[in-house]
Amino acid sequence: MLNSFTQTWKGAVLAALGLALLGGTSAQAQQITGAGATFPAPLYLKWFQEYKNATGAQVNYQAIGSGGGIKNITAHAVDFGASDAPMNAAEMAAAPGILHIPTVAGAVVVAYNIPGVGPGIHLTSTIISDIFLGKITKWNDSQITRLSPGTKFPSTSIFPVHRSDGSGTTNIFTTYLGEVSPEWKDSVGAGKSVHWPNGLGGKGNAGVAQLIKQNDGGIGYIELSYAVTYNIPYAGVRNAKGKFIYPSVENTSIAAEGVTLPADFRKVITNTSAPEGYPITGFTFLLVYKNGTRPEVKKLLEWCLTTGQADAAAQQYAPLPPSVKRRALAAVASMR
Amino acid sequence: MSVAPPHSSLLGKQSGNVARRKAQNVVMLSLCMLAAGLAILVLGLVLFFLLSKGFSSLHLSLFTRPPDNIDIKKGGMIQSIFGTLVLLGIASCLGLPLGILGGIYQLEAKGKFASTVRFFTDVLNGIPSIVIGIFAYAAIVYPVAQAHPGTGFSAYAGGFALGILMVPTVMRTTEEILRLVPFALREASLGLGATRWRTMWSVVLPAARGGVITGIMLALARIAGETAPLLFTILGSEYFSTHAVLGGHAHVPTLNAPIDALPLRIYNYSQDVNPDRQAQAWAGAVVLISLILVLSIAARFATRGNMQEEK
Repeated sequence: MLNSFTQTWKGAVLAALGLALLGGTSAQAQQITGAGATFPAPLYLKWFQEYKNATGAQVNYQAIGSGGGIKNITAHAVDFGASDAPMNAAEMAAAPGILHIPTVAGAVVVAYNIPGVGPGIHLTSTIISDIFLGKITKWNDSQITRLSPGTKFPSTSIFPVHRSDGSGTTNIFTTYLGEVSPEWKDSVGAGKSVHWPNGLGGKGNAGVAQLIKQNDGGIGYIELSYAVTYNIPYAGVRNAKGKFIYPSVENTSIAAEGVTLPADFRKVITNTSAPEGYPITGFTFLLVYKNGTRPEVKKLLEWCLTTGQADAAAQQYAPLPPSVKRRALAAVASMR
Repeated sequence: MSVAPPHSSLLGKQSGNVARRKAQNVVMLSLCMLAAGLAILVLGLVLFFLLSKGFSSLHLSLFTRPPDNIDIKKGGMIQSIFGTLVLLGIASCLGLPLGILGGIYQLEAKGKFASTVRFFTDVLNGIPSIVIGIFAYAAIVYPVAQAHPGTGFSAYAGGFALGILMVPTVMRTTEEILRLVPFALREASLGLGATRWRTMWSVVLPAARGGVITGIMLALARIAGETAPLLFTILGSEYFSTHAVLGGHAHVPTLNAPIDALPLRIYNYSQDVNPDRQAQAWAGAVVLISLILVLSIAARFATRGNMQEEK
């Protein structure tokens, strides 16, 4: 008994040491690590699987939210971050030399779950703002019903859902509301996470989508691809030219083409003046350092901006307009 | 004769008392049984829900394939199962020596320092696991990321956090079990001229083997289900992270890269709207529970084996 005990003990210690020693050597160079936005995650995950099939390089992308993406690239804990919200001045100062590389544009849709009501109800910015401010509380409020004459609304209470984590989707949505509603701008403001006057928070686009689906009367904002994939009805929103636009890849592209981006790409495209453009859209960015980023990452970015663009539309994202794509490739080429 | 017959009054009182005490007994016993029954009922319900929701989604691909992001249904979570095992291994490398040696120390050493150690072990036991996760982030992930940009999240960091969580459990159970070993055994060994270390290593520890192993298994079962410390340390991964060593003759787990774990994958998938992902989360939960069950059963066997040997 004594002997066998000592032997098991020795065996365990040796095995542990062996694991530690062998595991210590690295294969890190083969793997690229990224983290951030959930908004483009369905496309990114598909991209990176294709990229692996094409090149053999493993890209590990974890959708932890834009806020987490910015934090982790600032801490250098990942090879690239991903965010739909351009970094603000304070965040830029904490991460000197960071580049925003736009990859695709996406639409943030106002999705809902109203018993007996199908997709495509009409909403205006004022109504969306009032719903999320808690000023309109019933679906059969005359302000809502007036806009969609053919639809019969139940008296269900409105159940607003927002993001609980730091989110670029929230940034696009609140930037839009702040732009069109002075009351929103003064009381809630815009950003990756804001102080919501009411409603319930869900984690990630998926979390919000799930809450909308689970609650009768639910309304929330999610990326178009999530609404389409998970079959959640969403609204047509009145744009700056007064036209109700039912979000699609086409009218996201129109909005994206209509915008002039600054040299560092840091801009949200909301409230487009294009007559056919959807008003709540934004580019989503990969965040990398201009200096010191590994060449493998640079190669991956080039792939995303060229070959990858062909996949975008099928996943409900708008490919980059040609001028933006050219400039983004130039920014990638400037990395060293 | 104004005084009542003492016997009859006493008897009457006593019989009332007995009835009351009996009733009290019955009430308390049924409360205890109810509590025990409820505890078992909760466990039963958890298992029932888990199996009814998860069993149908248990496919072979779950154990043979990593997630598939193009055809979600086809995907599995082999990298999560693998990652959990690797993390348990790393955590054991840290937690077992510290826990067992610390337990021996607390048994053998006396004085102020020993009681201080015991106090702090108890405090450590009470620290929420998420705090340990933040600590591991600050102690490992962040510094490593500063030194080598693009790295930091790693199996090491996750194993470190889980290892810390193991220490107090292993330490406490080791101490308690060793305390149960009859003192006469030790005296006999010391009397034969063995050193205290030799006595501990060759007499006390083997006698308590089953109990120590049970403690280890319980600690492993506890950390196998931890999610919070992993959120800050391993990031998660869709890949089976191994690399070749010895000129390609063997593959070993890559420990300095992000890794996956079952609880983390279950957490992520449970948040997903995709019904296939949700089904996989349920199935993952069944796998995790089975893993913990296997550890618990292994603990039972370890104890039983010891007792048979004792005979």
